Amino acid sequence: MNVLNFDSKLCERTRRQLDAYLSNELLVETTSEVVRHLESCKGCAEELESRMRVRAALRRAALRQLPPPHLAPSIHQRLRRAQPALWLRLRSTTWAWGLAAALALVAVGAAGQRLLALRHSRQMVRNILALGVEDHIDCALRGHNYPDVARSQDELRRRLGPECAGLLPVVEEELPGFQVLEAHICSLPDDPRKYVHFIARGEGVILSVILTRRDGESLPAGRLLAADASAKLYEAHLSDMDVAGFESRNYFGFVVSALGQDRVLQIARNLAPPVRSMLDQSSSATAAPHNVSNLSAEASRL
Amino acid sequence: MGADVAVFSQSKNRLEEFESTAIPHLPDLYRTAKFLVRDSAEAEDLVQETFLEGWRSFHRFQPVSNCRAWLFTILFHRIHHLRRRQLKTPRTESFEHPAETDSLAAAPPLPQEIRDEDILAALDNLPPEFREVVIMADVQEFSYKETAEALKIPLGTVMSRLSRARKLLRRELTAVARGYGIGPGESKSGEGRAR
Repeated sequence: MNVLNFDSKLCERTRRQLDAYLSNELLVETTSEVVRHLESCKGCAEELESRMRVRAALRRAALRQLPPPHLAPSIHQRLRRAQPALWLRLRSTTWAWGLAAALALVAVGAAGQRLLALRHSRQMVRNILALGVEDHIDCALRGHNYPDVARSQDELRRRLGPECAGLLPVVEEELPGFQVLEAHICSLPDDPRKYVHFIARGEGVILSVILTRRDGESLPAGRLLAADASAKLYEAHLSDMDVAGFESRNYFGFVVSALGQDRVLQIARNLAPPVRSMLDQSSSATAAPHNVSNLSAEASRL
Repeated sequence: MGADVAVFSQSKNRLEEFESTAIPHLPDLYRTAKFLVRDSAEAEDLVQETFLEGWRSFHRFQPVSNCRAWLFTILFHRIHHLRRRQLKTPRTESFEHPAETDSLAAAPPLPQEIRDEDILAALDNLPPEFREVVIMADVQEFSYKETAEALKIPLGTVMSRLSRARKLLRRELTAVARGYGIGPGESKSGEGRAR
């Protein structure tokens, strides 16, 4: 049987505080009390020393684990590769013509060049689909720019503005099982591009339907690029999100969620034809009631 | 076109600013990820994704705030997301409220020299919830508050998990000491023996 010949209550209290003392988390007064006790109690001092040894050994061993040398360059490269998406978002006619010319040159090249073009086109699809994913993540997921209870129809229409309000019933009808919580026009920081953004909840996830002007960009055609060539639908898995994209005469449309590629593609397959049709009708009609051809003006008003 | 060049140049400068602020924390992020997911390739992916996500939301980062803590918050968000997806998270409620108190009885002896492989093996044997707290507090030397914020758990949980994790580490090392034939009588300083 161990016999304690010191103030066991004080020792108990000190040992309860040793973890916080070790982490430098005690108040100044408490630290002084602990230090005073440690100076006079060999048992507690040894207990502290033992805990410090383990902590120091753990830190020393852990810090010897170094990242592989290729990791930093690889991260630099990936960050740099993220840059072209910014380029694609720039409204530069000159640049767009340059890209078109470059693609044309590649397309008429040899087989190797065609492979290169295919890879480039795939990247282009991903860059365009990334527009929708970025807005979904930034506005809906991180920004949480939607209410827990769906806004009223009047409020949703008001937020969309007269030019875009007509899209609301179309989107709602093609999203059975989902409730449209929010609809607005938004943009990403430091980026002039505007997005018409519908945020819906259903099947346990948040789903975005996003429209944005093409500004001269196009989803490259080709059976090897489209997920559904007949419906002209494209898909990708980016930043843990599944995105399906389509285009109308002037707009890109995206369905973004974490529902899985098949489900997102299925939703886009239903949604794309009526949305496409409405967008094309609106942009060709000069005085259509739901003209969405001038989102920039509408967005700047908002 | 001039405006386009200006926008691109601005974003390039921002990328350089992000890299100079964030990349120095790469070793800490990598070793944390490695200890938690135990797989080098997966740890590399997590760290890469952390930096990409950090870059995407860099416009929200306040220069006065702690970049290191911010990056760790992103990393843990991704690690927890990965765990949820893999459905591998073992539940460890029984460890949350340790019944034992800080006993005054003889603390078991530790090996005189704690070898790296022994302490890392002991760390590896900890339940993930304890491992992440002990890495944050003892390896990365974050405060309780910063640890709680990064892991999204209450401060009291950080304290109880850290205390329990340290005890478990010592228990593991004691087992190693026994393996070396070190018993209470052989302990160099007689440490932990109640008098």
